[in-house]
Amino acid sequence: MSGSQFILSAFVVTWLTASLRLAGPVLLAALGETFAEQSGVLNIGIEGTILLGALTSFLVSYYTGMIWLSLLAAIFAGIAANIFLAWMYVTVRASQVVAGLVFNVLAVGVASVVYRKALGNSAVPESIAMFHPLHIPFLSNLSGIGPVLFGQTILFYLTIALAFAAHFVLFHTNFGLALRASGENPAAADSAGISVYRMRYAGTLISGAAAGMAGGYLVLAQVGLFRESIVSGQGFIALAIVIFGRWNPLKATVAAMVFGACDALQLSLQIFGTRVPPQILLALPYVVTILAISGLFGGKAVQPAALMAPYVKD
Amino acid sequence: MFVTAFLFLSYGASPWQAYFTLFHEPFGTLRGFGYALVRTSPLSLIALGTIVSWRSGFAYLGFEGCFVLGASATSWLALLTAPGARVGPVPFFIFLPLAILFGFAAGGVWAGLVGLVRARLGGNEVLISLMSNYVAIFILQYLVSGPMRAPGSLPETRLLPRTTWLPFILPGTRAHAGILIAIAAAGLVWMLLQKMPLGYEMIVTGFNAAAARYAGMDVARRILLAAFFAGGLGGLAGTVEVLGSQHRLMDGISGGVGFVGIVVALLARLNPVAVIPTALLYGGMSVGADAMQRRANIPSSITFILQSLAVLLVLAFDALRYYKINFPGFSPRTPPPVADEVSK
Repeated sequence: MSGSQFILSAFVVTWLTASLRLAGPVLLAALGETFAEQSGVLNIGIEGTILLGALTSFLVSYYTGMIWLSLLAAIFAGIAANIFLAWMYVTVRASQVVAGLVFNVLAVGVASVVYRKALGNSAVPESIAMFHPLHIPFLSNLSGIGPVLFGQTILFYLTIALAFAAHFVLFHTNFGLALRASGENPAAADSAGISVYRMRYAGTLISGAAAGMAGGYLVLAQVGLFRESIVSGQGFIALAIVIFGRWNPLKATVAAMVFGACDALQLSLQIFGTRVPPQILLALPYVVTILAISGLFGGKAVQPAALMAPYVKD
Repeated sequence: MFVTAFLFLSYGASPWQAYFTLFHEPFGTLRGFGYALVRTSPLSLIALGTIVSWRSGFAYLGFEGCFVLGASATSWLALLTAPGARVGPVPFFIFLPLAILFGFAAGGVWAGLVGLVRARLGGNEVLISLMSNYVAIFILQYLVSGPMRAPGSLPETRLLPRTTWLPFILPGTRAHAGILIAIAAAGLVWMLLQKMPLGYEMIVTGFNAAAARYAGMDVARRILLAAFFAGGLGGLAGTVEVLGSQHRLMDGISGGVGFVGIVVALLARLNPVAVIPTALLYGGMSVGADAMQRRANIPSSITFILQSLAVLLVLAFDALRYYKINFPGFSPRTPPPVADEVSK
């Protein structure tokens, strides 16, 4: 193998590994958000939920050192936070956009106050126990594709499995059908005996659990410590992935990989010092998402028809 | 209020003392009041933009993007007038209207594009405008790290020439003329929505697009205009911030003001007259919070909790107040129109 070929293949392997690594947490959050949106709730509060999940898993791991327990705690924190959000969205029928946005501000406040309370004002952020990349014998050593596909942490494989599970539940079970009916035509769903409120609570709580877990994923498998800026818009990226993936878990998986690839490519290109402005690559997925939902290509028909419309039972 | 009082207690500070600092600094000291005014100007301009768009039935959330693009356009114009630049020094009374025009146009066109998509193609403006924020922020990052970057290690432009700064209006403080622009804008928005046929048609469009169409109004054009005005006000907020307070363009200049402005508009119940006091209260509280952090070592993020809980409670009570409880002999009240508009 010549020198330049070696550099190129090293570049591609690092790039693809990083793509999948970056795609993990946002994909997890996007899978949950798909359930919320299919039930008719646009849950913008996942940004804040991810932050709370990240904080919870960090604190539990810091005090107990048990990583699976921390992940579980993050999931429960996500569910707890979203009980409140679901109450605002479904029972109070507040504007989903406003409640979600304001909740994100609340989450930042809560997270930073709790973090300082728990750790005091020690300036040095402390590192914690983390998930490590798996080394599957033989497979991980395959040249090229081995480290990319088989050198991720166990959470990554869990997320991929959840994507398939989510697809099955949404499109092949009665629960999934009822959930989608509540987001498509709540009045019709109601007259068919489906409790729209219960379905929307379920959708919101599922998205809360997934977002909390995504926060745990970020802390326990990627960063290893907590900062207030740890989430920095990943919840909104997850919203974009849901749209880009046309409210379908499997397509969302592909969409998450595309977003991850653009992000990772931008990082690698900066290291290699090319003249392409990295912002073009970073902006590309958003531009594509905007085009996808603009109605230019008939994307309107795919969106759950009652998305963002509170349901009033007569 | 009670919740945060307990939070203050947990820091070993008396709640009364903490609340005193929170409000004394911005409203009891001249210096603090100046800082409060500085934060009020962009907040109220964005809140006014929110009012114009949301009352016209256009749930725009892209003010972060309008803000940074307005700030970028204004900075570009201001840097052109630097001594030795292509245009050279320009008298302030010519520069200011041009800068306002530039900032307004930059934000207006940006939001107008989303309006166009909604009006002509039926795309969902909530999601599109959320995504467009990122694109605008990447444009800003490109500008300050590429073509407009000043020599130095930070991604920012050169300091804007002093001749382009907004004049300071209170001696001894940082308060600048931006607040006057905000007050004027509030007056104009009030005129537009309350006194002019165009504003009336925009509100009707927001209320019930089908009825507006039936009455012969061009709904698509009203939405487009609402988007343009709203984005323009957002861009103007960027102009004011960059000429009045930051005096240079840099990455992260918005700091979430595009979202806080929306919250201010909601607290003001989408009423343009109430915007300035609400924004002053909001801006003042964040100034007081910073003072609290310096003096009592209470994290300023506590005010995030205070502010967001206040909004959430207002939202919850708004909706619950009209919960149907049917007493015999009382006719049930109809829900207020505002709740309906916001939820679109």
